Amino acid sequence: MDVPHPEPAPVSLSRRSLIKRGLVGGALLAAGGAGFLALRGGLPVTLPPDGLLVFSPAQFAVLDAVARRMVRPRPGWPTVDEVGVARAADRIAARVEPSAQKELKQLLGLFENGLAGFLFGGRTRPFTRLEGAEQDAVLAEWRDSRLAVRRTGHAALRTLVLAGYYQTPSIWPAVGYSGPPGIFQDGPSQPQWRGGDQPRPDDNGVWHGEPLP
Amino acid sequence: MRGPGRILTGRDHAVNTTLHCDVAVVGSGAGGSVLAERLTARGLEVVLLEEGGHWTKRSFDGREDHSYPRLYQEMGNRATDDQSVLILQGRSVGGGTTVNWCTSFRTPRDVLERWRDQHGVKGLTEEALVPHWEAIEKRLHIAEWPLERMNDNNRVLWDGCGKLGYARGLVRRNVNNCANLGYCGLGCPLDAKMSMLVTLIPDAVEKGLTVQANASVRRLLVGNRRVGGVEAQLLDPESDKPTGVTLTVMAKTVAVCGGAINSPALLLRSGLDGNGNVGRRFFLHPVVIMSALMPDPVVPWTGAPQAAYSRHFIERGPGKVGFLLEVPPIMPLIAATVFPGIGEQHQALMEQLPYIQSTIAICHDGLLPDDVGGTVKLRDPAERRVSIDYPLRPFHFEAFRAACKEMARIQFAAGAREVRSLHSQPVRIRKAADIEAALDAAPWEAGRVRVATAHQMGGCAMGGDPRTSVVDSTLRYHGMDNLFVVDGSVFPTSLGVNPQETIFGVARWASQFVAAATA
Repeated sequence: MDVPHPEPAPVSLSRRSLIKRGLVGGALLAAGGAGFLALRGGLPVTLPPDGLLVFSPAQFAVLDAVARRMVRPRPGWPTVDEVGVARAADRIAARVEPSAQKELKQLLGLFENGLAGFLFGGRTRPFTRLEGAEQDAVLAEWRDSRLAVRRTGHAALRTLVLAGYYQTPSIWPAVGYSGPPGIFQDGPSQPQWRGGDQPRPDDNGVWHGEPLP
Repeated sequence: MRGPGRILTGRDHAVNTTLHCDVAVVGSGAGGSVLAERLTARGLEVVLLEEGGHWTKRSFDGREDHSYPRLYQEMGNRATDDQSVLILQGRSVGGGTTVNWCTSFRTPRDVLERWRDQHGVKGLTEEALVPHWEAIEKRLHIAEWPLERMNDNNRVLWDGCGKLGYARGLVRRNVNNCANLGYCGLGCPLDAKMSMLVTLIPDAVEKGLTVQANASVRRLLVGNRRVGGVEAQLLDPESDKPTGVTLTVMAKTVAVCGGAINSPALLLRSGLDGNGNVGRRFFLHPVVIMSALMPDPVVPWTGAPQAAYSRHFIERGPGKVGFLLEVPPIMPLIAATVFPGIGEQHQALMEQLPYIQSTIAICHDGLLPDDVGGTVKLRDPAERRVSIDYPLRPFHFEAFRAACKEMARIQFAAGAREVRSLHSQPVRIRKAADIEAALDAAPWEAGRVRVATAHQMGGCAMGGDPRTSVVDSTLRYHGMDNLFVVDGSVFPTSLGVNPQETIFGVARWASQFVAAATA
């Protein structure tokens, strides 16, 4: 594997201007969508049969590749494929606001992108085309970067992918979690008190004491 | 007396609607609910608007994947723009009180004195608040949680402090017939938690209060020195997306009670910047965490989430930020994202979840002369998401490091086998003698160590001087006759204790001023 090079200090990408722009700054993001290296093809993946709500197939492939490094095959644990981590991440992203969706898409583009990879770490292949250990090295570069904006990007990607995996009850046995207590006596079919002419049920926090001053 | 009111959702209006009332209250958390109940009890016609949904115990199934999207701001993923501080904040009818961990402290006297002496706040004294606290404590059954019912997770903090001779206390909780399940943070499935959702909100609805859930208030209708009402977009209760219906509530008085992030954002969207003070002096009680591997299971998701605390380090001398020690409940989804690492290292940690005890240090920010806190600003005004900045500075990191050392000492004193920091590359400590060196060598920098908050304060600071504050000592917006801000955003500093009871007390006390302005 390639040993990651020390990061060059890109003259045009000053640290302050990047941080000021929110999740991932504009100048850096421009690298995510342009240039020869950016166009080198990523690894094709199988898309979910029910389609994608937010991400493109290429962005989905990056999520899928990241998920496979963040959650390793382990006895007793459901696999990334069984959980459908990248699909779950797409569903989570579908509920955030458009500006946050845009930032996540840009982040995935930047992460995959050959030009950005070259600027940061001297690699020219897309993230999805790297070997596992090389992918781990790229993830560690982002995590430990002295550019705060890259650490931010790593945190956002990590949260999205791990939430996509750990949202499912099928991981509970693996982590020794017993699940919610099974004493929920009120099913969803029970009526919900909403005032009006219905009398308030006594179990709805009714106060039996004297009127308060 | 008027007839009973109603709790309405985003589905109850098919076309644009205008309501007329005495007071529009925006936000149904600890501030807005108490205020709405008091005003309704005085015979005023009140509409309480809430952006989140009306979720009740019938939906509280204890599933993290269901609860965070329904009950938390930004599905539990709210954070500062640079992702360095995770912000847990409630969003449903009842606000934070529906999902908090029930910890109830009266405001420390020295904090109120500081507000009086350094921020020009008048009349908000302990003596003025005591009758309000007494009434609230009675209604919410606030009482000390008995030591014999303390869970093993809290017992680590309790025992560790005992062994080291650190001051410790038992948490007072707002619960009635609590079964010690531990699911307070996902909504109480038994209605045992005396949140606003099952106390003052229904009490007031019985007396005529109208609650409108799924109403995202986009702007105040601002006129000359007066606000005419509010304009809200209704959201679909399931998808949380706008339905296209606008609800306008015309009112004699408006109270903004959206909390320390959403209240400043609403004022800013309405063109009210309080001489540049709106969204400033924003405090978070920034939290750092240490996780200990215990020899026996502590099962950190069961039992009353918070039962022990220590304020031993709340005063640390000049130039230093003090901290309050407490214990968080831990469940798999939140643990996976908050605990550091990925891959095998992360999974090996997650496998030990039943044995992991976490302790938190809640830093008392906003007291040092140069601690001006963070800022809340608008992004795209059409969006609900706002820009949140909280620069972590050397005095924060000094406190974080000191706090992590003390938490490690406590955890080892209570029998921990190993203690870890939540750095992006965790510091693993196997014996107490290694604590100092290991944590001194760790990187104390934003984005390299997990920082979180469940207490948001400030952003609409109260004070005597309109040049440095947003609301006056009656919580009235400077320069407006009928606009009030009644929530934790009016605090000029943080509290050093969990904020819900302070907000209850301040809102109940301030209800007299809102009522007087409405006459």
